[in-house]
Amino acid sequence: MPTVTIHPTGEVIHLETGETVLSGLYRAGYSYTVGCRRGGCAICKVDCLAGEFAYDHPIADTVLSEDERTDGTCLSCRAVPTTDVTIELRGEDVRLVNPFLRQINEKARLRAQALAASPAGAVPKE
Amino acid sequence: MAVSRLGYAHVRVTDMAEAKDHYANTMGLYETHAEGNKTYYKAWDEWDHHSVVLEEGGVGLVKFGWKVDYSSDIDEIEKRATAFGVTVERMSKGENAEIGDGIRFTTPSDHVFEVYHEATCIGTEVGTHNPDAFPRHLVGVGVPALDHSLITAEDPGLMDRFLTAVFDFFPTERVQTSLDDDADIIATWMTSGNQIHQLAVLAGPQGKLHHFAFRLGDWVEVGRAADLFSMDDVPIDIGPTRHGITRGQTVYFFDPSGNRNEVFAGGYLAFRDRPMNVWTPDALGKGVFYHARELNDAFTSVLT
Repeated sequence: MPTVTIHPTGEVIHLETGETVLSGLYRAGYSYTVGCRRGGCAICKVDCLAGEFAYDHPIADTVLSEDERTDGTCLSCRAVPTTDVTIELRGEDVRLVNPFLRQINEKARLRAQALAASPAGAVPKE
Repeated sequence: MAVSRLGYAHVRVTDMAEAKDHYANTMGLYETHAEGNKTYYKAWDEWDHHSVVLEEGGVGLVKFGWKVDYSSDIDEIEKRATAFGVTVERMSKGENAEIGDGIRFTTPSDHVFEVYHEATCIGTEVGTHNPDAFPRHLVGVGVPALDHSLITAEDPGLMDRFLTAVFDFFPTERVQTSLDDDADIIATWMTSGNQIHQLAVLAGPQGKLHHFAFRLGDWVEVGRAADLFSMDDVPIDIGPTRHGITRGQTVYFFDPSGNRNEVFAGGYLAFRDRPMNVWTPDALGKGVFYHARELNDAFTSVLT
């Protein structure tokens, strides 16, 4: 299960398998500038500095140019990380709007980290 | 010479299956036809074959169809558009499913308009013989009809003049840089009859769609629509709220491809001789969102 690291603050967010960057950030209690949330308006683009992602829907040519498909531009509402990724927002920081969700996400991230570090087949202790 | 109404909005969607679920199950439109990568819909209180066409591939507007009262209006609009300097082409019956002969042109705002008089009449869902007030088994919001659209253009003033000269529209409300005679037009709300607006034009990029709207009856229906959007995980842009401009009650929301939709109720009656309302930028927030009294950052930036 991949994580999203937000540059430059270094916040790390745990994503569920198949979850988009936008969905992960909101489910972790964060907000930032988004528009349609459905891949049509291009407002939620961020830059992917490290890691890989794939789009879970076809993206219109009017939304992502040919260059933007290879230059690290990440349409966050449709981008599903396939590895851990590091992103940077364009001209703003994320805003924490629900600290309770942030705490739950942090616990989920630490649990996933411990599970990944444990020997194969081992049952993680609570 | 009279444009009757916005007859159809033909838009692109990235995923037809998701779009069909939204327009049929959330909005409650009736599918009337499908061919190739297109699906056609009408609302329950519409009688013509379709008012919404979805085309798979991309997002945004393909074209609008404007229905005129008389077939001679097509010739008159062709003459007026040509005089305005726009290149007009003829379209034949069948180029659009169940739509008759007409004309097609690209507006100064780079939107494609079609003008037609004939469409296959299917009839409303309540019929015309001793009809009931509404169909008993509406789905989702159950919108009765397509209502209007808002598009963007680099020069809304030019579109105001174009729609006046070619469609015989008149402005009901405008946003201007000032009250001076030489003020620039930032946005204009235009109509051909008593409907408060059939097409609005906002300053912005050429050829873009801000939203197309479906009609509802009142506040209660607008509130119920917003409840249904939460149930169906439809992203709400803003609302329920009121527009200061038009006085309409509204929810802005997005279809599964990111095209903005609206449900719109109310709005006062327009008359050609009613003095036009003028808004200045200091009150634009209140004009657009009467309760929040400030624009959200999506209003001018989120377009398809």
